[in-house]
Amino acid sequence: MKTDIQIAICGSAGEGTIAAGDILRNALAGAGYRVISFDAYPAEIRGFGKCVARLRVTTEQAYSLKEKSDVLVCLNDEHGIPHVGEVRDFGAVIYEAKSIVHLAEGSHVSGHIRPAQVPYPLAIRELSERATGAIRSRNMVVLGYIAGLFHLAKEPFEKIINTKFKGKGKAAEDNHKAFDAGYETGAATFKLDDVNFGPPGKGLQAVMLNGNAAVAKGCLDAGIDNFFGYPITPATTIMERLAVEMPKRGKRLLQTEDEIAAISTTIGAGYTGARSATATSGPGLALMSEMLGLGIMAEVPSVVFVSQRGGPSTGIPTKTEQSDLNIAIYGGHGDAPRIVLAPTNVEGCYRCAGKAFEMAERYQTPVIVLLDLYLSNRYETVVMPAKPPFEPNCDKPVPKGDLGAGYKRFGFTEDDVSPRALPGMAGGMHVVTGLEHNELGRVNEQPEMHEAMSRKRHDKLKAALQHPDFTHYKRFGDEGRVDVGILAWGSTVGECLEVMFLAHLEGIACAVMKVVMLSPFPTEAVAAFMDDCDAVLVPELNYQGQFAHLIQAETGRPVHRYNRVTGTPMRVEDIMAQVRRLAKTATRKAA
Amino acid sequence: MTPQPIYLEEKLKEVQESGRLAYRSKSMPTWCPGCGYFSIVDGLPGALNDLGIAPKDAVVVSGIGCSSRFPFFVNTYGFHTLHGRVLPVATGIKTANDALTVIAVGGDGDGFAIGGGHVPHAARRNVDLTYLLFDNGIYGLTKGQTSPTSSVGFKTPTSPYENPDQPLNPLLMVLTYGATWVGQAYAGRPQQLETMIKQAIAHRGFSYLHILSPCVTFDKTDRTYVRLGDLVRDLPANHDKGDLGAALHLAMDTATPALGVFYETQRPTLADALDGLVEKAGGSVGQKRRTA
Ligand SMILES: Cc1ncc(C[n+]2csc(CCOP(=O)(O)OP(=O)(O)O)c2C)c(N)n1
Ligand code: SF4
Ligand SMILES: [Mg+2]
Repeated sequence: MKTDIQIAICGSAGEGTIAAGDILRNALAGAGYRVISFDAYPAEIRGFGKCVARLRVTTEQAYSLKEKSDVLVCLNDEHGIPHVGEVRDFGAVIYEAKSIVHLAEGSHVSGHIRPAQVPYPLAIRELSERATGAIRSRNMVVLGYIAGLFHLAKEPFEKIINTKFKGKGKAAEDNHKAFDAGYETGAATFKLDDVNFGPPGKGLQAVMLNGNAAVAKGCLDAGIDNFFGYPITPATTIMERLAVEMPKRGKRLLQTEDEIAAISTTIGAGYTGARSATATSGPGLALMSEMLGLGIMAEVPSVVFVSQRGGPSTGIPTKTEQSDLNIAIYGGHGDAPRIVLAPTNVEGCYRCAGKAFEMAERYQTPVIVLLDLYLSNRYETVVMPAKPPFEPNCDKPVPKGDLGAGYKRFGFTEDDVSPRALPGMAGGMHVVTGLEHNELGRVNEQPEMHEAMSRKRHDKLKAALQHPDFTHYKRFGDEGRVDVGILAWGSTVGECLEVMFLAHLEGIACAVMKVVMLSPFPTEAVAAFMDDCDAVLVPELNYQGQFAHLIQAETGRPVHRYNRVTGTPMRVEDIMAQVRRLAKTATRKAA
Repeated sequence: MTPQPIYLEEKLKEVQESGRLAYRSKSMPTWCPGCGYFSIVDGLPGALNDLGIAPKDAVVVSGIGCSSRFPFFVNTYGFHTLHGRVLPVATGIKTANDALTVIAVGGDGDGFAIGGGHVPHAARRNVDLTYLLFDNGIYGLTKGQTSPTSSVGFKTPTSPYENPDQPLNPLLMVLTYGATWVGQAYAGRPQQLETMIKQAIAHRGFSYLHILSPCVTFDKTDRTYVRLGDLVRDLPANHDKGDLGAALHLAMDTATPALGVFYETQRPTLADALDGLVEKAGGSVGQKRRTA
């Protein structure tokens, strides 16, 4: 039996809503299911705002959260009511049965449940109090209740509770007690909904990571030497994770005074041959622009992770958006080519992170890896490769005889990458500079030199489009001619794939192409895909259609845009409506 | 004291035999004849040579300005960066490779206007590098505008009536920021300058050498050799360079700038601190990094 169940837990920050979601997704992943999970909460600061933890649990690969949830848990009435509508027919709504405050008519969840939904009133508060003497463990009661009601094995939950509350004394004990109390009640409850967990199949040996944790893991597995950063939502957790892990490996991480310093130190370290990186969001990337130009001009490797949020300016810092594509590719002054990668799922974050170091070193250039809040904070079960799939050293060393007087740091070569002498190497002394220079690195502003060096800086990146063991782009779905082709990038790709499956069910010929390497742009492959499509749809989370612009500029062909800036991930239903509309016109044309 | 005659041939022989020429690049400085910066580019090779630091092990990092052209005129590794960003780039280099001797150079505008936000942090972290600040009280490269160390009343093309702003006191600032070695030298006293560069490099930690240096092209009135030569003075004989209060007092006297080491102390460097974190985390310090 296939399993595909979405659970939403809704409450305030103080009620342990996110913690409950975290335990639930880890326990289900531990049981061998695949999980995709994304929490929504109001701001960075912890308060009493509304939190929703959502997770989709499947046995087959899924690509995004679903439109409708199968199970909703309301830890309180006020925050729960607006979400009752997201539960499908015959789905379950679990809510507090015995509120201690008297609620006015219409303020209780029970009054909002549709006849087709199945209500499960639960004495959450009372069960917690009876089990532990306090109401604090309400979130554990509902976890236990879910496990009991849906006949899930207890052990994975117990394991996670143990690790999560290790060394926290009574808290661990209380949480176990509350979980058990919930479990007993759940197991004894007569089940009326049609939500059923099948066995997890042969089980997945997966780890549960969010995008930022996957980035950190990719950095570590690629042998990162130095990290420099300045905190900013939603990128900070990359640095926080590395701050724990890098010193264990003898590596150095420094919190700098601002983003200009972060990229400057990163490039300084890169100049010595170290693998170095920084992480930021749009505002920080804007500050880094000038220094990235120096990295390009001086041909120094560096890796910059950028997790996008709503902009411009401080914008909506805790909401997701894909509006920094332009600054990532074009930001800064002058002709400043760089490599830009945009992973499309959590596993991609791991791979792009590691590969970014290879590419930075191989092509001697800054590499920007673009995530967004949705991808940074989205959890997925990821099956890790047995050994890190990254090359530990991609530098182009100087041939022995070439060091000494006359060593050409910026010499013209067949692949336009010049062998690099590192500080400390005898006979390799040279100056790197942001001024235009000749092969030796000496200042040279002659017109021929500026043209030749500009060409070198651009042409050397072409090879990145063939960089080994990397998915630069990928086509999914129907082969050959299709009614609608979707061109997508970044975190939106998952929703586009779900749309494609829906389209197939409706008899629409549909294919998706995801583009991971955004600069240099795989123009030929994208144009070939567009040739196959009667209509091309480009859904993205920005107002301007930045990816659509890029495609049009690179291929010279028209596309249909679909743009949203709600601060939330794309909705499958909304993209689907566009696909239906385009499919109709496509058929009309064909007729 | 009657000046001793200098015989060119003897001097040349002495210089050639000293080994310091190995630290000079083939590129001749592009500065205006008479610019104070020549003394500095003469001083650094002597200092490195005396300290036995090979050209391959030194990295001279600079910002943007006349002063920041410096790396091109010495034969070490060099990184000519951006206006104001010399200190963070230098911090990155030193953090990635402890074995390198890192010397940061730049002008008063580079360090205390556009780059002013980085100075406190390099100082408080005690990054083990040497910062040579070339203070001519003017923006030389952009042809003579007011700088954050220009005197009140100074006339330049961007302050044609007069400069209305109080100058900063960089020495006072770096002392309070936590620099562990602070000194002042004058381009008009090249021998003392060279000795002080040597001491600054030899210091373990963040050393800051403030170098008063006339811009002969764009400042004909304020900080000329004639005026500066009259104003500068030696350190009081009883100055205790371990006394931060005394150092602050010296720094406050901008009317008659004192030359010498104001302050010197020892404190763990950034590298020490980061190695401490490695130990706390249970890692092994000195794990080989991917550098040369
Ligand atoms: C971001 C930026 N802004 C402005 C400039 C122009 N600029 C170059 S050097 C300089 C000032 C140089 O003065 P200073 O740092 O005192 O060095 P000096 O030339 O006096 O040695 C300025 C404003 C620049 N290169 N970059
Ligand atoms: S303009 Fe002034 S500071 Fe620049 S080289 Fe000439 S004299 Fe020196
Ligand atoms: Mg100046």
